Amino acid sequence: MAPTTQIDSSLKNGYQSNGKVKNNNSCSVIKCNATLAEQKISIRGLVGKLLSSPNPDKEILSLGVGDASAFAAFREGRDVSRCIMESVNSGTFHGYPPAHGFPFVRRAVADYLSWGVSQKFNEKDVFMTVGGTQAIQVILTVLANQGCNVLLPRPGFPPYEATCEINHIEPRYYDLLPNSNWEVDLDQVRNLTDSKTVGIVVINPNNPCGAVYSRSHLTKIAETAAELNLPLIADEIYGHMVFREAKFVPMASLCSIVPVLTLGALSKRWLVPGWRCGWVAISDRNGALSQVRMAMERLMNVTSGPASIIQAALPGLLSDSNDEFHSNVVKLLESSEEALFHMIQKIPALICHSRPQGSMFMMVQLDYSLLKGIGDDMEFASKLMKEESVLILPGTVIGLENWIRIFFGTPPDLLKEAMGRIMSFCSRYA
Amino acid sequence: MDNRREKWGYKGIAGVIPNFDKTVRGYLNLITSHMDHSQIDQKPMIPLGHGDPSMFSCFRTSTVVEDAVVGSLRSGMFNGYANTSGIPSAKRAVADFLSRDLPNPLSPDDIYITSGCNHAIKILVSVLSCPGANILLPAPGYPYYEVNCESTGIEVRHYNLQPEKGWEVDLASVEAQSDENTVAIVLINPGNPCGTVFSYDHLLKIAKIANKLGIFVISDEVYHGLAFRSKPFVPMGVFASIVPVLTLGSISKRWLVPGWRLGWIAVNDPNRVIRETKMSDTILKYMSTSPQPATFIQAAVSDIIEKTEEDFFYKTILTLRESADICYALIQEIDCIICPHNPEGSMFAMVKLDFSRLADISDDVDFCCKLAKEESVVILPGTAVGLSNWLRITFAIDLPSLEDGLVKLRNFCNRHK
Repeated sequence: MAPTTQIDSSLKNGYQSNGKVKNNNSCSVIKCNATLAEQKISIRGLVGKLLSSPNPDKEILSLGVGDASAFAAFREGRDVSRCIMESVNSGTFHGYPPAHGFPFVRRAVADYLSWGVSQKFNEKDVFMTVGGTQAIQVILTVLANQGCNVLLPRPGFPPYEATCEINHIEPRYYDLLPNSNWEVDLDQVRNLTDSKTVGIVVINPNNPCGAVYSRSHLTKIAETAAELNLPLIADEIYGHMVFREAKFVPMASLCSIVPVLTLGALSKRWLVPGWRCGWVAISDRNGALSQVRMAMERLMNVTSGPASIIQAALPGLLSDSNDEFHSNVVKLLESSEEALFHMIQKIPALICHSRPQGSMFMMVQLDYSLLKGIGDDMEFASKLMKEESVLILPGTVIGLENWIRIFFGTPPDLLKEAMGRIMSFCSRYA
Repeated sequence: MDNRREKWGYKGIAGVIPNFDKTVRGYLNLITSHMDHSQIDQKPMIPLGHGDPSMFSCFRTSTVVEDAVVGSLRSGMFNGYANTSGIPSAKRAVADFLSRDLPNPLSPDDIYITSGCNHAIKILVSVLSCPGANILLPAPGYPYYEVNCESTGIEVRHYNLQPEKGWEVDLASVEAQSDENTVAIVLINPGNPCGTVFSYDHLLKIAKIANKLGIFVISDEVYHGLAFRSKPFVPMGVFASIVPVLTLGSISKRWLVPGWRLGWIAVNDPNRVIRETKMSDTILKYMSTSPQPATFIQAAVSDIIEKTEEDFFYKTILTLRESADICYALIQEIDCIICPHNPEGSMFAMVKLDFSRLADISDDVDFCCKLAKEESVVILPGTAVGLSNWLRITFAIDLPSLEDGLVKLRNFCNRHK
């Protein structure tokens, strides 16, 4: 349990020793949830701070946040918004959706997720969530118990840690290996696990590294998890967003080895993070997760889920009539990544050890010997913004100091311009 | 190996997972499970227990509202992430809307856009919870408050609403329940479940007591503007110079789109009491990891608020008034049911069961289960909202169905005399 918040000395003068402020407009000292009050800085917080001091003479170019929705180039092909307009104009979806989602929506997601998976999903295995954010929260909340821990990748995605904190779960980090396609360090996973570990989160296709794991590596992960009696939490927010020779293998296809909780959303593949529509899907061949499932049903009975009009559009959105849209997105990502990689190769101070094959991010190491006057990744990011108005994410905030995360979900031209500025920035500090 | 299997299971963290059975939905599920589906053709279900009338054509939202959201989608500009506290145009529109009736205008910085009023409740309860704190909730009330308090650990204390005084707050019970660990009092006005609209004078008294006790007010105004008789709705923010007020609201009820999940918290704090604590920061921090409302729906809020025609609201009020009148009149004809107060706002009436006139019915839950079974009429038992042996009747349903349902209720009562 979080300790009682002490009286904040920054409050107005004049409070009595029992903590109540008694003045003309008396109101007690508002003690707040201590865990929340002390939360560490988030991606949003840091990005906000960086964006507040750009070079005023240069337009801001953001390669910092995973949101490609603003770029028209990505929206070729079918207009995905049409599906929602239809549900709005029908007038039949303005009411509260049932808990867990409309049955026809859960069915559509179950069918979509069953692609490439021998154990098909049933509509009852699917729970609609308000984006990937709520999916993460629901999964960690139902798995949590007193004194437990969960295994998270490093580098990783900070909202996992934030959610752990709120649920009093201890996060333990396993490394992704930068020289081996960012694969999971399975020996370390074994060492970190104890009787209080409740699960392991695997992000594939990977944010922030862009790695796409092979079936053989995923199988090894599944086998290790089974050996350790851990369910797999498969974060597939970037599912199907793979290019070149990479193949996306849903973790659920390995559920004969270990139970899997898959989380996904419309956000990335459909380029609509603002729609806040995601899901959790349970693959549980042997009933090992039956109590977790029950807890999830109970928990989600008291939440409202994604907006009704968005849910109602899902069958249309998930249908294969959007294939042209999806392949256009992937083609663009591929050419942007290509452009990015070639420019990185021209900048000696930046090193990409394992090239991304999916998602929208690349992790790049900083070589400080070639960056005189720059001591760490936060300083790199901050100076880059101040001098060149380019936003990248310092690796510290995602668990890997001395690295930076570069987003390539932008049209190639924008990327080239931004990288050009990064190149001249680095050469100034050489 | 086997003994380690158990750690995959959910292990007695009862405090964290909210108790669904005690929610409105939970009780309605229980009641409807008693319906006799074999007679569903002769006796189709008549819902008088819900809080969502949007399925009835007489309560369909305005085309202006639908067009607003289609427009924001069509622009293609609102598919990305929004700021944590909401997009500026939505915050400004809500601030302006609420300020119409307030002496101290609100700024967009005072507004937090949430996924409906339920989400606003969750945020505030989570932010306020810390060991030893307690919060004052009305009885009868809206069980979502209790459910969330249970899962965050903040202690619930109930103050009474007085049926014999038009469901006004029992101010003595407020004082009695409050102590130095009380952080806030929750008011629901217009009232759910009682259908009341508090007078200016009564709200002023509440403000003064809150001031005296050193607690602030959470004013749940999700039924803002749905006062359909002569008593005007007065927002609690009017008294913000006496006591800080956190107002909750949404587009769900007034604009009849509860499924869109768009609400707000408005901080009425002209004396900057709340602002100078950590609370605003804590709200933002909680919201930064919390599920948000869809960006394009936020983008439609300014048009929804500014362009929805007055006729639409007028029509909704008229429909509600007519429904409330019919409900009250028909209830008067039923011996064993007493309605102490003719509803004047929101969508509900609280009515009392007189068990001296009822045979073989043990309590309100039993009454509702049997009613569902025999007549396919679904009413919410008062136990769900904190008042056993009462019923909450929703009259926001098309008139023919309302009449039909109430006649069937009367028949049921006659059969069980």
